[in-house]
Amino acid sequence: MKTKIIILLTAFALFSCKVEKKDAKKEIETIVCTTGMLGDAVKNIVGSNMEVITLMGPGVDPHLYKATQGDLKSLTNADVIIYNGLHLEGKMGEVFEKLEKQKHIIVATAGLTEADYINNTEFQGAQDPHIWFDVALWTKAVQFIGAELALLSSDSVKKQIQMNTENYTNQLFQLNMDVVTQVSALDSTERILITAHDAFGYFGRAYNFEVRGLQGISTTSEYGLKDVSDLVNYIVENKIKAVFVESSVSEKSLQAVVEGCLQKYHQVRIGGQLFSDTMGEAGTPEGTYVGMVKHNVKTIVEGLK
Amino acid sequence: MEAFWIILVGSLIAVSCALLGSYLILRKMAMVGDAISHAVLPGIVIAYLLSGSRETLPMLVGAAALGVLTTVLIELFHKKSNLQMDASIGITFTWLFAIGIILISLFAGQVDLDQDCVLYGEIAYVPLDLWITESGYNMGPRTVWIASGLLLLLLLFIWRGYKGLFITTFNEEFAKALGIGVAFWHYALMGAVSLTTVISFESVGAILVVALLIVPPATAYLITTDLKKMLLLSSIFGILSAIGGYYLASLINGSIAGAIASVAGFLFLCVWVLELLRKKRVISI
Repeated sequence: MKTKIIILLTAFALFSCKVEKKDAKKEIETIVCTTGMLGDAVKNIVGSNMEVITLMGPGVDPHLYKATQGDLKSLTNADVIIYNGLHLEGKMGEVFEKLEKQKHIIVATAGLTEADYINNTEFQGAQDPHIWFDVALWTKAVQFIGAELALLSSDSVKKQIQMNTENYTNQLFQLNMDVVTQVSALDSTERILITAHDAFGYFGRAYNFEVRGLQGISTTSEYGLKDVSDLVNYIVENKIKAVFVESSVSEKSLQAVVEGCLQKYHQVRIGGQLFSDTMGEAGTPEGTYVGMVKHNVKTIVEGLK
Repeated sequence: MEAFWIILVGSLIAVSCALLGSYLILRKMAMVGDAISHAVLPGIVIAYLLSGSRETLPMLVGAAALGVLTTVLIELFHKKSNLQMDASIGITFTWLFAIGIILISLFAGQVDLDQDCVLYGEIAYVPLDLWITESGYNMGPRTVWIASGLLLLLLLFIWRGYKGLFITTFNEEFAKALGIGVAFWHYALMGAVSLTTVISFESVGAILVVALLIVPPATAYLITTDLKKMLLLSSIFGILSAIGGYYLASLINGSIAGAIASVAGFLFLCVWVLELLRKKRVISI
């Protein structure tokens, strides 16, 4: 028994070696991003200079994402890892925090300040992670990522990254203005957004929408009967025309709300599908961040008008 | 190197689970691992409400406390009210899970809080999650240390308590007549099960632990009724599943935990068919 333990310990001792953080001046070749939104932004920032790998494909719920064998290879080979933070990636985020000692890690939400976050609870550190629904806030996060990447690159690539970041953030500024103009078609009384789960808090704050979800942020807790009847009363009282389903949550729950409203002689319809935690298929317009936001805003404005 | 670490952690956890699982199957409590995986939810919520953080340590403490409570409740319902073991397991974990859900909707509806997000690890992250000392030395993956420490403790427990566990598992009445503390051995085993499952959940994820707790011992039970052989064979089946599962996963670029559990099931199927053929004297082994 004792000899076995000694053998085991020496085996471990052999594997232990000094850790060297990747040389800061070594050219970055591969970047791994967690969500599709981040992947899209980083592709725009680095252009064809570096390889960008996105772990979570279309339709994947980031809260429930499970890594595959191939993802592990991508992560080990990556020079830089970029993730959203604020617990969007669950346990995976904790692993990334520890990787800090070996790789360059960029947390997209680290570029924001405490005042930018929405926290609907009395707990510290329980901020809502869905920051990309506020285009202005997302622009800030993208600027931060661009600046960090520029710091890590050699002089020749640095200029290009800075230029690309500026071009892309200009696009996002434009997009933000478009969103503001589009939603201005709605009166303030019409600006009520009802979805299956609470992911649109940032959208609501940025564009003056009252946001209501049937479920909280966690999708484990089922919605209660009282949640449904409260929501039905709210819809009937405010004469809301449409509710919206999300790409990553089943629409069954909202059907119950629609039927409940019908029983109270109020016609509410399902206004369409919004992209919440993931973007659309690659190659379609909704497969980019800009396309996704345009789709969401168009769907919301047409549904509520 | 990555392959080596993943297979090593998979095998260490597989052996721990196989050893405990053998006793659980013989005591008709195989589903206790699955029960614990659900029943830890209120522990996580309470730990979060008290500590206000979703870090691993408070989650682990809350989960372990509830794991122990689960096994105590199962035994209580079984012994004091003559409920069958399976019914007792079913009542306990559904009830605790339901309490957890109610706690979330009451106090933490706006926080992303469930086992998947805050407790369950993933075996694919093992090579990434390194233990690096203050002075900058890489001691290898953190989970390798945890899993081997756990296995050593279990081996010590089974080695020292082999007789007590043996006699209370196979002949409770006889053990009572001899004056052996049946309750003591039961709770010692259950304590070991709750700690092992909760720690393993954190290292490699739930599905893998539940599968490794049942399938390799069940496979071994097909070919032997000798407890020592069963412990040895189920450990071997567990290790084979870990190795086979890793290579299956890299072949199809899929989830490693899923592949290991599938290989374990496939091994069970093979052994079962071979046993059927042997019994019908089609082949002789």
